[in-house]
Amino acid sequence: MLRDHVHSLGRALRGQRRRLRWVLKDVNLEVEPGSSLAVVGANGSGKSTLLKVMAKVTFPSAGYCEVGGRVGAMIEVRSGIHPDLSGRENVYFYGTVLGLSRRQVAARFDEIVDFAGLADAIDRPVKFYSTGMQMRLGFSIAAFMEPDVLLVDEVLAVGDASFQQKCLQRMNDVVAMGTTLVLVSHDLAAVEAMCERAVWLADARVAAEGPVRQVLSAYRSSVEQDAGLATRADGPVRVLKAAISGPGASQLRSGGPAEVRLVLQSDAGAGEARLHLGVSEGTAMPVFLVAHHGLFPEGELEMACRMEQLPLMAGRYYLWMAMQAPGGLTLAPWQPLTTFEVFGPSPRRPPNGVMVLAPIHVEAKWQLS
Amino acid sequence: MPAPTRARGSCVLDSSPELLQPESPPAHLRYRHRLRPGRSLAELWAKREIVWTLAERDLRVRYKEAALGLAWALLSPLALLAVFTLVFSRVRAFHSGPVPYPLFAYAGLLPWTFFSASVSNGANSILANKTLLNKVHFPRETFPLASLCVAGVDTLLASLAMVVLFAVTGWGPRPAGVWVVAIAPVEVAFAAGVSLALSAVLVYVRDMTILLPILLQLGLFASPVAWPFSQIPAWLRPAYAVANPLGPVIDSVRRTLLGGRAPDPLLLGLAAAGALAFLAGGYALFKRAEVGFADTA
Repeated sequence: MLRDHVHSLGRALRGQRRRLRWVLKDVNLEVEPGSSLAVVGANGSGKSTLLKVMAKVTFPSAGYCEVGGRVGAMIEVRSGIHPDLSGRENVYFYGTVLGLSRRQVAARFDEIVDFAGLADAIDRPVKFYSTGMQMRLGFSIAAFMEPDVLLVDEVLAVGDASFQQKCLQRMNDVVAMGTTLVLVSHDLAAVEAMCERAVWLADARVAAEGPVRQVLSAYRSSVEQDAGLATRADGPVRVLKAAISGPGASQLRSGGPAEVRLVLQSDAGAGEARLHLGVSEGTAMPVFLVAHHGLFPEGELEMACRMEQLPLMAGRYYLWMAMQAPGGLTLAPWQPLTTFEVFGPSPRRPPNGVMVLAPIHVEAKWQLS
Repeated sequence: MPAPTRARGSCVLDSSPELLQPESPPAHLRYRHRLRPGRSLAELWAKREIVWTLAERDLRVRYKEAALGLAWALLSPLALLAVFTLVFSRVRAFHSGPVPYPLFAYAGLLPWTFFSASVSNGANSILANKTLLNKVHFPRETFPLASLCVAGVDTLLASLAMVVLFAVTGWGPRPAGVWVVAIAPVEVAFAAGVSLALSAVLVYVRDMTILLPILLQLGLFASPVAWPFSQIPAWLRPAYAVANPLGPVIDSVRRTLLGGRAPDPLLLGLAAAGALAFLAGGYALFKRAEVGFADTA
C-alpha cells in the first residue's frame, strides 16, 4: 500500500495527472416510498456501487444521496456470518448488527430458521454448512429485518430454484407491506415480475429510466446488438434470408397466424433432411420447436412455414433454426435467425410473482358446475 | 447541503446541475467530509449495543477455538510476571521499596495488558471485519471499541491472579485502592484514542501491522511496568505524563492499591489531559479516514 502511494506520488511529481475513472457519473434518481426500482446493466456498469452509495457504505465523490427511514441491504449475504459460531449464534449476531435489538431477533428467530429450512442444523457451527445453507441463512436473516428501504444486490444467483422462488415471494411480501425495493439483478424475468420501474446503467451513466418493460426492451436490444445475432456459415446449408410475420407481412398477433419465410442456400444436394425451427424467449430459454422432414434439392430454396395459431404472449422472441441429415450429420448448426415482436394483450401478472412470466398463450374455456 | 426530512422509504440522488467543466463535478457538489462530532457521537450512542455484540462474538469465537480458551487471558500476564520477577527483581534500579516485587510488577502488568490487548486487536479490527464494512452502515468506531471491551474482559480475568498474589505475598490491598475506579477511565480514554488512530492508519498503511508489535514491545519497557516511576528524572515527569498517560496510571495504581496513599494529583491530571488529547485526536483522525474504508480495506 505504501509502495502504491509512493509510486503515485512519483507520477504526480513528474507531472502526469492521476487517471480517474468514473464509476458513476451524473446519476440523478428519485425513488418514491413504496415503489420498486430495478437497476440493470452490464457487469462493471456501476450497479453495485450505486447500491453501496444508497446503503451508505461508500461515500460519493460528488453529489449526495439521501435515504429516509431504515435501510436494509442484502449485499454479499454469506460474508457477514462467522464460520466458528453456530447458526443460532450467527442469527443473533448478524440480526443485531443489521439493526434489530436482541428481543426483536428472538421474536423472529423461528420464522427465520423456518424460512431458511435449517431447523435441524441451526445449532451446528456454520463452517459445517454447505454453501447453499450458508447463503440461505444469510438471506433469511436479512429478509426478516423489515426495513423501510430494502436494497438487494444480485443475491439470488446462488441457491436452488425452490429457494429462489421463496426469496422472490418474500420480496414481494415485503413490497406489499410498503417497503421500497431497489433490486440489482441480471435475471430480467425476475426483474420484470417484481419491479414497477427500472433504470439502466451503462458506462457509469443512466442510459434509460422509466417503466420496467420500456427500459428492459431498450436494454435487451442493446445487448442483442452487442452479442450480434450471427448466422453461421459453416455448414453445407446456409440461411440467406429469414423473416417471420403475420399473414402478408403484417404484425404478429398473439394467437393469430404466423408465417416464417426462409431462403436457404444448399451446397450439395442435401437430400432427405430434417429442418428445425425454434422460438426462444431470451437467448437461452426455448419455448417451442417445429420440425419438417423432407427432401431438399441443391441450390437456392425458398421455404415457408405457416402456423395457424401462434401461441405466444406479447413480447420479444428469437427465431432459431437447425438442419440435420438422417444419419445425424449437421447440415446447418443451431443458430439464431432474427428477433421478432408479438403484439397482443400484455400478460397479466400472476398473483404473488411467479418467477417466470409464462410465455405460452393457451386458449381455455372454464365452467363452474 | 441542508438535510430535508425525507419521507420514510424514499431515496434521492442528485449529482448534476450546471457543470462548469465537463470532466469534473462542480465545486459545490464535491464531497467534503466535514467532521461533525456531535452527530457522530449521537449515532455512536444510538448504536452502542453493536459494540457489545461485536465483543461478544469475538469472545465466543475465542472460547470455541482454543482449548484453553479464556484461560489465555491469565497466562500471558503471568508469564511476563514470572520473567520480570526472575530477572528484574535483582536489578537495583528496579527495586520496588517495601512492596514485594511480584505484586509491584503485576500492578503494572494489568494496566499494560489492557492497553496492549486493546491496541493490538483494535488496530486490526477494521481490516479483520472487512466483510461487514461492505454490507451494513453503522459507526465504524464500534470495531476498535469492541476490542477494548474484549481487552477489558481479559484484564478482569487476569486480575484474579492479583487476588492470589495478595494472598501469597501477604501484602494486603489498601483501602485507598478504590481510587482505581477513578484512574481506570484515564487509561480507557488513552487506549481508545490510540486504537482508533491506529485502526484508521492500518487500513491505508499495511506496513504498520509489522511495526505495531515492535512498538508495543518498546512501549512495555518504556513504561514503568517493570520499574518504578520514580526512575524518571523529576524534570522529565510532566512531559512524560502527557506523552505516556500509562506511566502515571500505573504509578497511581501502585500508590493507592499497594501503598495506601492518594495518587499524585499533578501527574494524574496531566495524564488525564494527555489521554483526552489522544482520544480527541484519535477520533478525529478516524472520522477523517473513515471515508475511504469500504473502498480501501
